[in-house]
Amino acid sequence: MSGVVWRLLGRREALLSLLYFIAIVGAAVFARLLFSIDPLEQDLGNTLDPPSWKHWFGTDELGRDLMVRTVYGARTSLLTAAGAVLIAASVGVPIGLVAGFFGGWRDGLLMRVVDVLLALPGILFAMALIAVLGRSQMTALVAVGITGIPSFARVTRAQVLSLRQRDFVLAVEALGGSATYNIFRTVLPNAWSPILVQMVILASVAILLEAALSFLGVGIPPPTPSWGDMLRTGKGFLHEAPYYAVLPGIVLTCTILALDTLGRALAAVLEAPEPGMAPPDGEGP
Amino acid sequence: MTGFILRRLAQLLPVLLIASLGIWAMIYAVPGSPVAVIVGENATPEQIREVTVRLGLDRPLIVQYGAWLWAALHGDLGLSIQSREPVLALILGRLPPTLQLGLAAILVGLVVGIPVALASALRPGSWLDRVLSGWSALALGVPTFWLGILLILLFAVELHWLPSASSYVPFTEAPLAALRNIALPAVTLGLYVSGIFARFLRAALIGELRADYVRTARSKGLRERDVVGGHVMRNAMLPFVTIVGLMLASFVGGTVVTEAVFTYPGLGRLLIQAIGTRDYPLIQGCILLVLLLYMGVNLMVDVLYAYIDPRIDFG
Amino acid sequence: MTDAPVVSVRGLDITFAGRIHAVRGVDFDVFAGEVLGIVGESGSGKSVTALALSGLLPPVARVTGSVRLGGIEVTSADAETLRQMRGRDVGMIFQDPATTLNPLLPVGRQITEGQIAHGTLRAGDAEARAVALLREVDIPDPEGRVRQYPHQFSGGMRQRAVIAMAMAGRPRLIIADEPTTALDVTVQAQVLAVLARRREETGAAVILITHDLGVVAETAHRVAVMYGGRIVETGPVEEIFRRPRHPYTAALLRSLPRIDGEDARLIQIEGQPPTPGALPAGCVFHPRCPVGRARAQCRETEPPPVPPGALVGAACHFPDEAGDALAPTVAAKAAAPVASAAPPLLEVSNLHVAFPIRGGLLRRQIGTVRAVAGVNLTLRPGETLGLVGESGCGKTTTGRAIMGLIRPSAGSVRFDGQEIGGLRPKEMRRLRRHMQYIFQDPYSSLNPLLTAGQIVAEPLRIHGVFETMGGDAYVRGLFDRVGLSAGMIARTPRDFSGGQRQRIGIARALALQPRLLILDEPVAALDVSIQAQIVTLLQDLQRDLGLAYLFIAHDLAVVRHISDRVAVMYLGRIVETRQKGALYRQPLHPYTQSLLSAVPVPDPAARGGRGRIVLEGDPPNPARPPSGCAFHPRCRQAVAACSAEAPALLAIAGEAGMVACPLAEAGA
Repeated sequence: MSGVVWRLLGRREALLSLLYFIAIVGAAVFARLLFSIDPLEQDLGNTLDPPSWKHWFGTDELGRDLMVRTVYGARTSLLTAAGAVLIAASVGVPIGLVAGFFGGWRDGLLMRVVDVLLALPGILFAMALIAVLGRSQMTALVAVGITGIPSFARVTRAQVLSLRQRDFVLAVEALGGSATYNIFRTVLPNAWSPILVQMVILASVAILLEAALSFLGVGIPPPTPSWGDMLRTGKGFLHEAPYYAVLPGIVLTCTILALDTLGRALAAVLEAPEPGMAPPDGEGP
Repeated sequence: MTGFILRRLAQLLPVLLIASLGIWAMIYAVPGSPVAVIVGENATPEQIREVTVRLGLDRPLIVQYGAWLWAALHGDLGLSIQSREPVLALILGRLPPTLQLGLAAILVGLVVGIPVALASALRPGSWLDRVLSGWSALALGVPTFWLGILLILLFAVELHWLPSASSYVPFTEAPLAALRNIALPAVTLGLYVSGIFARFLRAALIGELRADYVRTARSKGLRERDVVGGHVMRNAMLPFVTIVGLMLASFVGGTVVTEAVFTYPGLGRLLIQAIGTRDYPLIQGCILLVLLLYMGVNLMVDVLYAYIDPRIDFG
Repeated sequence: MTDAPVVSVRGLDITFAGRIHAVRGVDFDVFAGEVLGIVGESGSGKSVTALALSGLLPPVARVTGSVRLGGIEVTSADAETLRQMRGRDVGMIFQDPATTLNPLLPVGRQITEGQIAHGTLRAGDAEARAVALLREVDIPDPEGRVRQYPHQFSGGMRQRAVIAMAMAGRPRLIIADEPTTALDVTVQAQVLAVLARRREETGAAVILITHDLGVVAETAHRVAVMYGGRIVETGPVEEIFRRPRHPYTAALLRSLPRIDGEDARLIQIEGQPPTPGALPAGCVFHPRCPVGRARAQCRETEPPPVPPGALVGAACHFPDEAGDALAPTVAAKAAAPVASAAPPLLEVSNLHVAFPIRGGLLRRQIGTVRAVAGVNLTLRPGETLGLVGESGCGKTTTGRAIMGLIRPSAGSVRFDGQEIGGLRPKEMRRLRRHMQYIFQDPYSSLNPLLTAGQIVAEPLRIHGVFETMGGDAYVRGLFDRVGLSAGMIARTPRDFSGGQRQRIGIARALALQPRLLILDEPVAALDVSIQAQIVTLLQDLQRDLGLAYLFIAHDLAVVRHISDRVAVMYLGRIVETRQKGALYRQPLHPYTQSLLSAVPVPDPAARGGRGRIVLEGDPPNPARPPSGCAFHPRCRQAVAACSAEAPALLAIAGEAGMVACPLAEAGA
């Protein structure tokens, strides 16, 4: 286990990504300690100020500090992503385990359920859900989480199927171990590495998807600071304040890249299959 | 061949039924009565009664669903609340712009992605491979809406070369004007696509280059370009065709984000507007049609794959 | 031999990544028309040598020394020279015909594209040429086959097509790297026959690389034995087998179970073959050598190699002692203590296993593969029954169905008088304490996340008897029992070699003190010298613990060595079941006869002495078995009645055996 961590840190790109990710998580968690300004605090005398020592990222159309809003946006984004990954994994992994281990009608039934979730590109599925449930941070989280279920179900099922081909799983059956024993003591411990990789990759996908939904105006409702919403509004001020849409975008992009890089490095270190080789999904998730 | 298609259709049928049920049930899941949802929020009691009877909303749910599905199968998706126009006509009007954008983006993706993948895969681990793999990661990681903003800033706001909002000009009618309008959105989306293509094809090529038949081909004294061109590419292209097809399938369903960035009048914008105005018949219609198109193209990709792979016997 | 050699190798030395020394100073010559057999276990450097000869090693390999082939110095030639040499001067045949052909190109095109690349064949003539080449390697209907894809060919046909491909440009040298290892024994005989005939017709020299001493004895003129990256002995094939000069060669020959040999206990070569990354000092073989283990000279200095160009010689300090140091030390297995009156421990009657084939609309079942079609077996306590057959005959399925890992579609399995078919899962799990399974692939049968100790203790914990059986001390005892040091208990499987892993698998199976072991090809994945170790261990365990074995294997020599009785399977049925001695002395069923005759015997003196029956065709597809006797399409003796009705397995007069062939019985 510690060997895996050291090998991961031995990769320059993984180390850099991890440091960036730790920094952004730290900033999001300790935002209140880092900044005395509130992200919702308006200053109508100083709207659309360019970056300065006082406002590193400048201010928005209501005079709110964009740097502070970007950091609080990280909070929204990371929380949504974490919740979405949790939902996706806790539904998708059991589906994959049962479908892969038992096969037969259970496999057929569960995979048809997954097919229904895949009947639309992920972003459209999320939009349809939001159209029904109404727009809120919770809806965004749930919608993004549900679109992630198929990927966990598939990754887990594929891994379980390949383990099913390995004799040591059959050996446990031959020794008299029950299916429950086999799944939890033999199969799952040997299947965790692609699942872990998928969690990291899906976190980056979830951040991107949430940002896309908010950019479209159907994700996180304002005034809660979110990166997608900032880009959406910033796009309206490209002539007056180009930094508005550019600077938060850099932070968003770096976060996505860091998680993606980390996931891929983790896959290489854990000798898990290369992630993201499954069919692509729309315009980036 | 026909049997193969029928079999795949039979597999899709339950999925389609469940999904269509979900789409139909949307209006019942929305807070408020379905009639209010369909007629709009400011309807008079008379209108509500009239619609209830006309749409048969007083009948049992299963009958309502059957009637809705039957009408949908006949192309009757109802009227848009906002424009009072038939939903199907609205959607069909937005399909060509979306298709044109999707195809252009895939073209950009192929033109950029295939050379990148080849150059990487032939020397895995080299500095060139590392640079190009980094490029692919960037192409995949940069959100299309942010990349679109950057391109607008550069080419529209700063240089004034291209319009910042793209309108739809059919390529067949005015190719130059079409190119001018589609360039930015196609490149924005195409770069993302090229990242997917490059990453997938690189992995496929590297896998194939390790295969035993490559060693056999070399042992016969084939030139390296024939080994790669005649043997390796053929095998790597097979799964790649699937990826390109799936990409196309998802673009038929709308290039929502890119359309929003460039205010491009495609299917995605229509759906966003419909959600914004709570125009549920239009939302339902959009999603149902996208579902059909998406699954239809997926099916075509399956059939194509089975057709070009000699190992698959249409049985 | 005054001609110049076709290929001349001097001081060939190959290193990977700067530290893995795979080949260390190899010299040999091969002359026109002769077959040089290069024999060695895994890691001996034999396949790396083969690739170096045609310049096909990956760029990370550092090659020094000299390889002269067709007037070209291969080690220093540029890429274009090497490319022109390949296919023109040297042709290659690789191991696995399932992967050596490109699945997406027609076979005919793949056979001729080398010649087209060399400009010796016009594209317009390619198809006619491919048809001619396919005909030369006995492919039926070459005109129709030439446009087919590899998946439409059977394994044996594919390998013959590869031979046609390698010989297309009439190269003077053919390098065949384990060309028949992936094939069934009857198909191996076909492929070797084609290779020999084509060699005679073209006069090419052949380098045959193999681990199978039987194949070498039957096909090679001269032999080079490789060990630890060197040629430790070379000589004419008769010399090598009659009077080996290197203790390794001598030990290897004695460690081999034979279908024509004595029942003597096998000689074991202790320890493992060295890995190229960690070679011992001095003579590489000394840690395992009965002659040199105790001698300082062997420990400290590496013996000089066989002089370049010498036709006979061994790289050993004490070549004269090789033969005598290896007399058997322990008496042969005690006479089988099998009381034939004892009630059977296992009784299988009329066992059927069918797998559905799904297809059509809605994936309905459109047919069945009858993997096992009416198998009857009995096994008494302490007895070993060998179950042999070629791939796809249903022997593994039979074993797994008996074990309850696959649900039989019909028939009964009684263990110790109790019918296990109707048992509930819980009762079945309890019964499994008495019946254990050993898997073929030791790399796949051990959970990589557990330590060796946890693996062996797992059955005890599953059944909740870890403490009552004696806990850690009991597990340490099991390690000792299978010849593993208790100090290895905390290591994970990846730290063990193949043979050691198989010992862990055996210890795990023994943990619950079973009475029956089902062994599914337990030595097939192991090196020759390790096979003898495991076979001997199994024999010792049986003697001491009174275990009954159902020993499933395709290797007739190993089965002969370990079994009391043998059952031969063909396409889901048992065609012959006899006492071992009777079966190997006088097989009755035509299939058994051809199977036994196809096994290469590691004795060049016996070459040609036995009338070999080379079976036509390939084992049929179990989804579409032939009518009547499943063997009749390949049987030389078949008469009209054979295709009408499947013969029953009937007792043989005057013998405790059965055979499913009316013709054989008449002849007996």
